[in-house]
Amino acid sequence: MAKATIAAETAGSRLPPLLIAADRVAATVAQGIHGRRRTGQGDSFWQFRRFVRGDLLTRVDWRQSAKSGREPPDGWFIRETEWEAAQSVCLWRDASPSMSWRSDLATVEKRQRADLLLLALASLLLRGGERVILLRHDAHPVMHRSGLDRLAVALEGMAGEIPTDLPLPRFGAVVLFSDFLSPLEDIRALMARFAGVPLTGYLMQILDPAEAALPFQGRIRFRGLEKDGDVLIPRSETVRDAYARRLQAHQQALRDICATAGFGFGVHPTNQTPEAALLTLYAALTKR
Amino acid sequence: MIFTAPWVLFALLGLPVIWWLIRMTPPAPRSQDFPAIRFLMGLHTTEETPARTPAWLLLLRLLAAALVIVGLARPVLDAGSALPGNGPLLLVIDNGWASAPGWDLRKKASTAILDQAERSGRRAALLATATNGDGAPIAVTATMPIADLRQRLEALQPEAWPPDRAAAARALTAWHERKDASVAYLPDGLTDGPDFSDFAAALRNVGDVTEIGLEMPPVPLLLSPNAEADRLVVHVARVPDDAPLHAIVLGQSGDGRTLARSDIIIPPDATTGSGAMTLPPELRNRLTRLVLEGPPSAGSVMLLDERSRRRPVGLLTGDLTTADTPFIGAFYFVRRALSPFFEVRDGTSTALLSRDISVLLMADQPQLPGSQQEALTNWVKHGGLLIRFAGPRTAEAAGNETDPLLPVTLLANGRQLGGAMSWSQPAGLAPFAPESPFSGLTAAEEVKVERQVLAEPSSSLAAHTWATLRDGTPLVTEKALGAGRVVLFHVTANADWSNLPLSGLFVEMLRRLVAISVGVATPADKTVLAPYQTVDGFGVLNQPPPSATGLAADQFSRSPVSAQNPPGLYGPEESRQVLNLGTALSPLQAAPPIDGAKLQTLSGIGQERALAPALIGGATALLLVDMFISLAMRGFFRARLGAAGLALVILCAPAARALEPPPNPATATQLGYILSGDEHVDRIAEAGLEALTTYVNRRTAAALHRPDPIRPGETDLSPYPLVYWPITASTQNLTSDQAAALNTYMEHGGIILIDTRGGGSGEGFAPGSAEAFRRIGQALHIPPLTPLNDQHVLSRAFYLLSDFPGRFTGESVWVQRDSDPTNDSVSPVVIGGNDWAAAWVENQDGSSPYAVIPGGERQRTMAYRFGVNLVMYALTGNYKGDQVHIPAILRRLGQ
Repeated sequence: MAKATIAAETAGSRLPPLLIAADRVAATVAQGIHGRRRTGQGDSFWQFRRFVRGDLLTRVDWRQSAKSGREPPDGWFIRETEWEAAQSVCLWRDASPSMSWRSDLATVEKRQRADLLLLALASLLLRGGERVILLRHDAHPVMHRSGLDRLAVALEGMAGEIPTDLPLPRFGAVVLFSDFLSPLEDIRALMARFAGVPLTGYLMQILDPAEAALPFQGRIRFRGLEKDGDVLIPRSETVRDAYARRLQAHQQALRDICATAGFGFGVHPTNQTPEAALLTLYAALTKR
Repeated sequence: MIFTAPWVLFALLGLPVIWWLIRMTPPAPRSQDFPAIRFLMGLHTTEETPARTPAWLLLLRLLAAALVIVGLARPVLDAGSALPGNGPLLLVIDNGWASAPGWDLRKKASTAILDQAERSGRRAALLATATNGDGAPIAVTATMPIADLRQRLEALQPEAWPPDRAAAARALTAWHERKDASVAYLPDGLTDGPDFSDFAAALRNVGDVTEIGLEMPPVPLLLSPNAEADRLVVHVARVPDDAPLHAIVLGQSGDGRTLARSDIIIPPDATTGSGAMTLPPELRNRLTRLVLEGPPSAGSVMLLDERSRRRPVGLLTGDLTTADTPFIGAFYFVRRALSPFFEVRDGTSTALLSRDISVLLMADQPQLPGSQQEALTNWVKHGGLLIRFAGPRTAEAAGNETDPLLPVTLLANGRQLGGAMSWSQPAGLAPFAPESPFSGLTAAEEVKVERQVLAEPSSSLAAHTWATLRDGTPLVTEKALGAGRVVLFHVTANADWSNLPLSGLFVEMLRRLVAISVGVATPADKTVLAPYQTVDGFGVLNQPPPSATGLAADQFSRSPVSAQNPPGLYGPEESRQVLNLGTALSPLQAAPPIDGAKLQTLSGIGQERALAPALIGGATALLLVDMFISLAMRGFFRARLGAAGLALVILCAPAARALEPPPNPATATQLGYILSGDEHVDRIAEAGLEALTTYVNRRTAAALHRPDPIRPGETDLSPYPLVYWPITASTQNLTSDQAAALNTYMEHGGIILIDTRGGGSGEGFAPGSAEAFRRIGQALHIPPLTPLNDQHVLSRAFYLLSDFPGRFTGESVWVQRDSDPTNDSVSPVVIGGNDWAAAWVENQDGSSPYAVIPGGERQRTMAYRFGVNLVMYALTGNYKGDQVHIPAILRRLGQ
């Protein structure tokens, strides 16, 4: 009991700065992002259009029609509102041990950066009126910005794997944050499942700069973080090019998989600012 | 081989651990967590075979480690065979004068013996066979641990006197701790007197004797020299031997410079050899010691006292007040002839004879009053040299009485040659007879005798005559009187009767005469002279040891040296006497080996060699090799080998010499010297020109390179602005090719400095070189010459000079008389005999091996300045000659 309380307090003490940081990042990105720009159900005025036969009389804007000064029904105008239908966005970030790692070149672990990006994106989406769902069991959709706290708490307990039996909202969007260093087959299977729902979305690969560049020198025994063995490299600098080629091939394969499934794919090194990644994500999500 | 610290060898057991440690190469890898390890898998298949150190490198490292361990165990090689006996060891050392050469070897040998004794846990005692300077009697020290005895041994020094065999034998007999004792004896190879057999017997009685020979040649001994008229005859003695011995005796002045040298070859089976040391009197008077070249010892130094050097000359002026009246005074010319070379005193005969004096001169004085005459005769009989000059009073007295202090009986009144009332002409000198002391001097043509006193003809007159006139009448006669001699000039000492006193010949004749006189006689009395400074075992003058006592003055020639009378200087300064080791030493006898002794050599007794430094050094070298191999195996060297090699070359490059040989003779200025064929002279010329080049480079803007030897006719002379040519008596005549080359050189602006090297030395140093030059010079186109004066450009080309000394000074230097505008009025030859190169030579330490004469640092500086002027003259021509016009130009500007 006591342990749980302490853990909660620790988590709680960590959350506000994270939320504040996420809000700050999101506020930077929200500038210049506009609404749906099409007619639909909503509250805000979109445009006036002439009355055509068959329109409900109740939708006529009599004030505007009177100002036109023409004969009915030519002088009648229908007031249309902007479409404001909310979309469900599913968010997930990897919590595997390989995410809890950083090299000397970066200031934050990959998982911290993933948390920040996820919450910032959620903040943005909530501001835009979307529904945000975490990909976990017993996750409740969050509709308002006041739910961001709940989201952060739920994020703490999120598993590393996506539950296979989770019902997914149709025509929703899904955004995954991970280093995507697992075998391509796993990712391909996941993408196939998403595509079958159907879902679209975005894969944001978060990499440590050391993973991108392999800046080590000399005789080094590399150890994996997920029980995937170790390897001794007598002179690390000699394998740098081969490693870079393999990494690029992997990323290209990911990009191809995403393109097939209609997903977007981006890479975010942790030594870059999170705003850049968030902008990319937001642009990709609001494009459609 | 034994180990001094054997327990260190246990560390060898650790070698397997070292093996295990050093084969773990390469070192353990750094560990690094890495998420993207999947991409690294299989990237480097070859590294799966672990890197192993090659076996040979492993062995190399193990060998280095083993060397270090064995080295730390301090192995000692050649520990030698054990000494006989196991009781106390008696170390007997001869520390007389003959032990000083090789004293270090003796020390080493005795240390080795003590090392052996220490290892076998024995105690030891020491006996030094020469009395030490404290005056304590010879005795065996107490038997003590080796470590204490080492300090005694350190303090032991060779003495300047021979060992006392009899006293040593007594001390051996008196030693009572002889149970199981053995003796180690380090001999000096001489019997040192008649008691050697007793000594040997006493040694044998103590116990088993081990005699350690040092494999050194026996030491020669310098004996007392004989002072002869014109030379010093030096003697060297040695023990009988069947091989010839080449000894070199150096005559040194008080400041340690070598003035003369004599090579003595002692033939096989001879025990003594002699050599002459010929020196001009003024140099001979500077000699203070003779030194036998070789390891120093008391026997290789012979101090010279006043006897062989000082020859005070007395002028018996008496009451003659006009003796020094210029040009007419009786002693005016004599004093000027003698005072540069000798100490000249004057006064009455009583005053002069009251002090030691070698030569007395009387000018036209008949007999002295009775007692004075008697004292004078006595003085001559005891070795004095009386030189008398004739004159009117002598001629007058000749008829009246017989003067015992005249060499010949004189005829009354003399004779007059020439003059207004005579038919005869003034007579010249006949050449000197070879047995005369004047032989070798040139009987000058210009000397004419107008009046003389005549000797009564007798059968023995010719034997007493040293110089005659052309008509055979004697000019100088002599007679031995007791140990001394009387010499009479049959003319006056002034220019009244002849112009002999005006000629240079007069000076030379007087010098020869004084030189044959004996030096100041010893005051052979019983005065005890206290020791002033004594010679120590290595031939160095030092304070007298406490044991030294005074010695009666008449004992000096027969006293053997001892601890009481060490060799050295005795008495107050004005009557200083020397006692030398070689004066009264009995003839040298080689000591026979001790009967029944075990003979060993220094190498045989096992000169111990510690191996540790070599082993540790070897290990270090191996580790260095290992480092280089390791670096090379890591590819470290590919890029840096060149740089490292270059650095090594730079580090190892010998220090650049001050004078570089010229890279290209056409662009580098350098001096040259013509090879004379005499190796010694050529060496002097080379060294002299090198020193001059350094001097010129330091003092002037000229940058000269190393001088070159030149063979005229073979070497291209055109690069050399100045060529130095030392002439020797044996220089060959020039071939036509050589003469043509030199003439072309002179015609085209070259300068040859011709040096006959004997000027002003009285022909003593380079006899015959002037004649040789006359012979050689005929082939050269030498222009008309004039003496070099201080108006010539050469005297002001860099320094302002008024004379041009080299090793000698005073003789004229000759240059071209007429100015020749084709060569910028530069004289093609400079001819002199001042031996410039010898004055220029400098040793490595900056000292000068050849003394300048008459001497002084200023003369040497002037010699260098002359050299600088000459180089400047050769390089700049008569550039400085324009300065002669400066007064005229200034005057014109003023108007």
